Amino acid sequence: MASLPQLIEEDVVRLEGELRELVEKSDATTALIIDKAGFLIASQGERRQFDLTTIAALASGAYMANQTIAGLVQEPNFNSIYHQGEKFSLLVMCVDDNCLLTVIFKAQVGVGAVKYFAGPIVKRIALQLQIAHERSPGVSLDLSALNLADPSEVFKRKA
Amino acid sequence: MAIINQATKELQVKIVYYGPAMGGKTTNLVQVHDHVQTAQGNKGKLVSLATSSDRTLFFDFLPIEAMSIKGFKTKFQLYTVPGQVIYNTTRQLVLRGVDGIVFVADSQYEKMPENVESFVNLEENLKTLKLNLADIPYVVQYNKRDLPNVAPVEYLEFLLNNRDVQVPSFTATAHKCEGVFETLNMITRMLLNKFISQGTPQYA
Repeated sequence: MASLPQLIEEDVVRLEGELRELVEKSDATTALIIDKAGFLIASQGERRQFDLTTIAALASGAYMANQTIAGLVQEPNFNSIYHQGEKFSLLVMCVDDNCLLTVIFKAQVGVGAVKYFAGPIVKRIALQLQIAHERSPGVSLDLSALNLADPSEVFKRKA
Repeated sequence: MAIINQATKELQVKIVYYGPAMGGKTTNLVQVHDHVQTAQGNKGKLVSLATSSDRTLFFDFLPIEAMSIKGFKTKFQLYTVPGQVIYNTTRQLVLRGVDGIVFVADSQYEKMPENVESFVNLEENLKTLKLNLADIPYVVQYNKRDLPNVAPVEYLEFLLNNRDVQVPSFTATAHKCEGVFETLNMITRMLLNKFISQGTPQYA
């Protein structure tokens, strides 16, 4: 499985900038970059009314299930999923081998507009992730500060 | 693998509870959700995609933020897989990007074939993702120890923990929350130790 390097601040700022532009131009409510394992990478727009962590997990699961169906019907081009709702609609688009763009938008906003503005932004997100991928692998987060000698448990049960 | 966000010093880790049907995987997550001591807002909702008879259909999902990891916002995402044989494709989907595995075995004698089948299935599904169980931190939990017809732990170890390197194993009675946190804390420590020894964790 291909892997991506860690994201530094510059990456996150650019990814969030792309999402902000998408939200503004398409009148979307919230835009997220998630990875196909279900992790939330970046988000912009309205974030308080939605549980974005759970949405990321479920959206990636739905997309990956869709991809598996595509494989079963020998369809190479199921690159997005769209759910139209009464209040909100949802669009999940493939960015690259590892990441997805998820857009939540009001039902009255046309999916065509969201797709139109998302197209070039997906490419720019993929490019930024590619830049991160090619960056020096020596850049890493120093985890040595984690004190695992500490005998206290990471997760504690309530008394 | 785990996501490291250097900008926010945030680490996201995916742990999957795997094992035969009705073995107690979902119960483990329910007990963690109900009993974990966290700062306010650090425990997400437990999401279950289940059938009408409460059998896991796709996965259960519990996001949770660990305490006492200084300087790091460490988010753990706990998943279960559906245990029924027919849902194998779903199990493969959930395993994508896994960092650590808890294999939940059913201790009852009559469940031994299902335990072994599920363990073999785990190895096969990891291979489809180009992963090797030997490279992934995992622990084994022998659940349902309160039932009268349980096999001895030594027998379970022989069947399920008899590889070149023996991994930590725990007895549990998940519905009473016995052994649940011991299991979770061990897989957590193994994961963090792996990240430290590797030096450059990546994500996929």
